[in-house]
Amino acid sequence: MIPVAFDYEVAESVDNAIELLGQHGEDAKLIAGGHSLIPLMRLRLAAPTVLIDLDRLDDLRYVRDEGDHLAIGALTRHRDVHNNELINEHCGILSYTAGLLGDPSVQHRGTIGGTLAHGDPSGDMPSVISALEGELVIKGPDGERTVGALDFFKEFLLTDLEPEEVLTEVRVPKLGSNTGWSYKKFSRRSQDWAIVGVAAVVEKSNGGIDSARIGLTSMGSTPIRASATEEALSGASTDQVEEAANSADEGTSPASDDAASAEFRRHLARVWTRRAVEEALNR
Amino acid sequence: VLELADYEGLREEQKRRRENNDPVQLGIGFSTYTEICGIAPSQVNAAVGLGGAGWEYANVRMLMSGKVEVATGTTPHGQGHETSWSQIAADALGVSPDDVVVLHGDTAVVPLGRDTYGSRSLAVGGVAVHLACEKIVDKAKKIAAHMLEAAEDDIEFEGGKFSVAGSPDQNVSIGDVAAAAFMGADLPEGMEPGLTENYVFDPPNFTFPFGAHICVTEVDTETGKVAVRDYFGVDDCGPVINPIIVDGQLHGGLAQGIASAIYEGAIYDEDGTLTTSSMVDYMIPGAPELPNYTLERTVTPSPTNPLGVKGVGEAGTIGSPQAVINSIIDALEPFGVKHIDMPASPMRVWKAIQNAQGQQAGEREADASLESRGADVQQGGDE
Repeated sequence: MIPVAFDYEVAESVDNAIELLGQHGEDAKLIAGGHSLIPLMRLRLAAPTVLIDLDRLDDLRYVRDEGDHLAIGALTRHRDVHNNELINEHCGILSYTAGLLGDPSVQHRGTIGGTLAHGDPSGDMPSVISALEGELVIKGPDGERTVGALDFFKEFLLTDLEPEEVLTEVRVPKLGSNTGWSYKKFSRRSQDWAIVGVAAVVEKSNGGIDSARIGLTSMGSTPIRASATEEALSGASTDQVEEAANSADEGTSPASDDAASAEFRRHLARVWTRRAVEEALNR
Repeated sequence: VLELADYEGLREEQKRRRENNDPVQLGIGFSTYTEICGIAPSQVNAAVGLGGAGWEYANVRMLMSGKVEVATGTTPHGQGHETSWSQIAADALGVSPDDVVVLHGDTAVVPLGRDTYGSRSLAVGGVAVHLACEKIVDKAKKIAAHMLEAAEDDIEFEGGKFSVAGSPDQNVSIGDVAAAAFMGADLPEGMEPGLTENYVFDPPNFTFPFGAHICVTEVDTETGKVAVRDYFGVDDCGPVINPIIVDGQLHGGLAQGIASAIYEGAIYDEDGTLTTSSMVDYMIPGAPELPNYTLERTVTPSPTNPLGVKGVGEAGTIGSPQAVINSIIDALEPFGVKHIDMPASPMRVWKAIQNAQGQQAGEREADASLESRGADVQQGGDE
């Protein structure tokens, strides 16, 4: 299928991208790796009149150690996130997830900023960033601001980004030696979107659990935190994991489709949360 | 196939997993099949309303250069007839397969022909090539006898050479004969020049390939997800012309059958709209979802054609869906699951477990109430 005709602009810098967004109005769309946007355009589910290409802004591809957190340039490709030594060492869940999302061609073209700005609740990265409580650095005509991951995802494919803003950086905490993590993705085929995904980041203490942060994929119109389970796991012992996981679907609103009914998704979220926390405790 | 799969070992592993209440259970599924292939006998075709014309056509010609052209009525679209037919002609004529060109798929090149389907190409069309080559050798033998000034009965043909029995030094190659046939200057009296023969083969019966398959699945009883861990097959398609092509046909067929059993399905919504209309929604599995195949063969030649070949196009597809489903049902036997529709998606498998457990719980309750009533009656009797 063929997209609706569109104009194409190349951004020379972030400021230039912001300028171009201002010039072209709300029907302009930023494009980075294009592996989410182009398929939508081919299906004519999206029809931007202008594409503003960020892909030549190589200065937005970096990974920096900022003391207590890592700063990752928004245009860093998934494959580079997957292979980056700093991320491997300090935030294993991120490099692991970057290595399993989509397929190799998506991983080589797609970017961490792109998948987050796309805001698809069945994407793997949004729920992982939510569980990590990462921060997103956004630049617009009025300067720079920082938004927490939990406030960034607003609705299905809708984020906190204003029409003239550009996501420039993703910040994730450096996980300590007492932090275990797991991302468990349930899909029928390896390259499919998650039917359900569970990201678990667990702070361990004295053989038990200090606290846990759990992000759910494909369980609502945005990535969702399993807050009832998180509360139940706070200060819990390891044999309370199963009971805590049984409330993982509380407050979610999963869709029903050919792959899974809402009821089945709720069931999978409970099973997968238990397994993710157990895996995190052993990692 | 039981030996190939280490059946006893698999049952032991299954027992361990059942005893340990492993959430991932092991399933061992069987299937045996007998195919009816080589759709051919024209009389049978007519009797079942297909009109007839179950034959297949081949033309084989030896050029002056000694190279061979084979024109076949079969129409390969990925089955490798160019390779296999070259081998058949090369074997019969004693030349290298590199010296054989196979022509097909154009009525300007091949005037007669039927079709490629139903595993008939080799058992009908491939055999026609072989029989046309035999006619070539028969004619070439007469020319060779003439060239060697010997009686035709004394001529032996081996390795592409005609020689006089007892005097192997007295010989001519089939290429030399082809050149002489083309030139036509010195042929047995009354013989047509050239070395080209047709054969239209109409076999007396079908062929009957058969096989036995074992599929080993791991079924996650908490999520309903099925993974095919191993697949074992012993197939009998008669003598094998090209082992790689036969394996390839089996691999492709098995992938297709496993796909039918677990992944692929056309789903329509309540308005009749096909919702599985893209490669995202229609679940064609890829290499990560498919197992390594462990395949062996037995060779039982068919009596209905001189090569004994039977065809292998559908063997994998015919053998695999029920082996996969049987394997899933076997894994879930402790749960009382007796049936799952294809494709066995995670949701279907999970629901089948839920339903069976609900049913078992219901049966237990019914049994318990019957038992207690029985006890009452018993007590009453005692009084």
